Amino acid sequence: MGALTDKYCIVGVGETPHMRPSNRTTLSMACEAVSKAMEDAGLKPSDIDGMTSYQAADSTSSAHVATALGMRLNYCLDILGGGSSTEALVAHAIGLIEAGYAKTIVCFRSMNGRSGRRMGGQVPGGPIPVATAEGDNQFNMGWGWTTPAQRFGMSAMRYLHDTGCTTRAFAEIAVAHRYHASLNPKAIHRSPITIEDHQRSRWVAKPFRLLDCCQETDVAAAIIVTSRERAFDLRHPPVFIMGGYARMMTENPQWNYSRPVLHYVAGNYGWKRAFGMAGISHSDVDFISCYDAFTFTTLIQLEANGFCGPGEAGDFVKGGRLKIDHELPSNLSGGHLSEGYTHGVQMVIENVRQLRHRADDACPGWREGRHTYDRSKGCRQLRKARICCGMAWGWENMASCLILRGIAA
Amino acid sequence: MSDYIKPLPKPSPTSLPFWEAARRHELKLQYCEACKAFIYYPRDRCPTCFSDSLEWRPVSGRGKVYSYTVVRRASSRSFADGPYVLAIVQLDEGPRMTTNIAAPPEQVRVDMPVAVYFDDVAPGHTLVKFKPA
Repeated sequence: MGALTDKYCIVGVGETPHMRPSNRTTLSMACEAVSKAMEDAGLKPSDIDGMTSYQAADSTSSAHVATALGMRLNYCLDILGGGSSTEALVAHAIGLIEAGYAKTIVCFRSMNGRSGRRMGGQVPGGPIPVATAEGDNQFNMGWGWTTPAQRFGMSAMRYLHDTGCTTRAFAEIAVAHRYHASLNPKAIHRSPITIEDHQRSRWVAKPFRLLDCCQETDVAAAIIVTSRERAFDLRHPPVFIMGGYARMMTENPQWNYSRPVLHYVAGNYGWKRAFGMAGISHSDVDFISCYDAFTFTTLIQLEANGFCGPGEAGDFVKGGRLKIDHELPSNLSGGHLSEGYTHGVQMVIENVRQLRHRADDACPGWREGRHTYDRSKGCRQLRKARICCGMAWGWENMASCLILRGIAA
Repeated sequence: MSDYIKPLPKPSPTSLPFWEAARRHELKLQYCEACKAFIYYPRDRCPTCFSDSLEWRPVSGRGKVYSYTVVRRASSRSFADGPYVLAIVQLDEGPRMTTNIAAPPEQVRVDMPVAVYFDDVAPGHTLVKFKPA
């Protein structure tokens, strides 16, 4: 067990709706998300003394949000980041609180990810906004290598070649996450899809089709971390942080595709640390979240984190294994593929709600933890939701993990 | 000024010899005397042994497709003249390069043999690309 296992908790979560477009500033959305997380926790602005955020030079700052909400902070920091940053900021918050720099820290991400700057930096329909490609970009951008779909498509293509896996495995993930979105009133896409729908959808960047790609949205999302002692006095039963790894990197991260096997991703180096810290094994995990910028990023992280062996993920996900009420439910809010795109915060938020037994679904009594477990009536709460493993993806070369447990179920 | 609207590489002092060679239609990479190995992309020191004894040497320009993608959905007007094949080519000498493959997309395969060619895309700018060998 890790020295700090179960000493720190997530006590508040909140987000704006997923919008396309928001017609709002990132400051306005961040204030809404942080306020909702405070309300969820039963905290006032004066109870928050630390704030962190991550962004891609596309968002407001902690200082702006603290000013707007009347907070005086003992600590604030805004980092450059994307996928895998949420879990890293949780680890960072633990360190700060343990060392006495702050007591209760809110972490947020606010982005006009649809109507503003898109992933890859392009404006749809416009020319690429840079005339010259500098630094590392001089060795890829000129050839038209500019988007995550192209970059990860490269890893996926080699993975299919090396393992014999087919894109029907990608479809299993798209179908499972969409089914969960169908049970989530907040999700952008709620119509269930089939494996054949996936196989018929148009190509984006081979081997990725449209239904392999996430739904970029305008959204802000926030979570609050504090110590166990404070957590017990707050509105909800605490969700305990058992362990994880944060922004774990592969060797040779800068020139990623020179690594011997491109799809040997960063999670491979991290999962023993996370499970060791948490003091659990894979069979103790009731459900997972698994960063789904693309179907493939979920698939590859399952084997990187030891849920199955190398090259086995395609077989592992067959037959709806990742669906609710099956062996290993994944991304119960619908994830990036179907709920919307928060750069990973939403997965932590959904996991917290599931572990509290308070998934915000169609059940009239969800706020009190009363669920029907009837999927035909829109219930998405797991019956047994005690331990969750959240796996997050930066690039092939970077990953995070956050293992949480609840006490409500 | 040409009507080329794709981003053009801006060499750094370290990478300039690579781009100057490409303009002469030569493929030259750095060779580490200590490791007896070629490296790419250009660096000040070998990433394996950290030696700064690196020499620019010509390579064969032959290799295989390590992986590829066919871009059907242009992310900007600059690349809307597709579909196009993006690839990582592993040279016979070892290093991998990102590039385009000039071939019908349906004919491209992982491990397909390829050979270099030089595309003078704009005045003073040459991109290293590959075609089926």
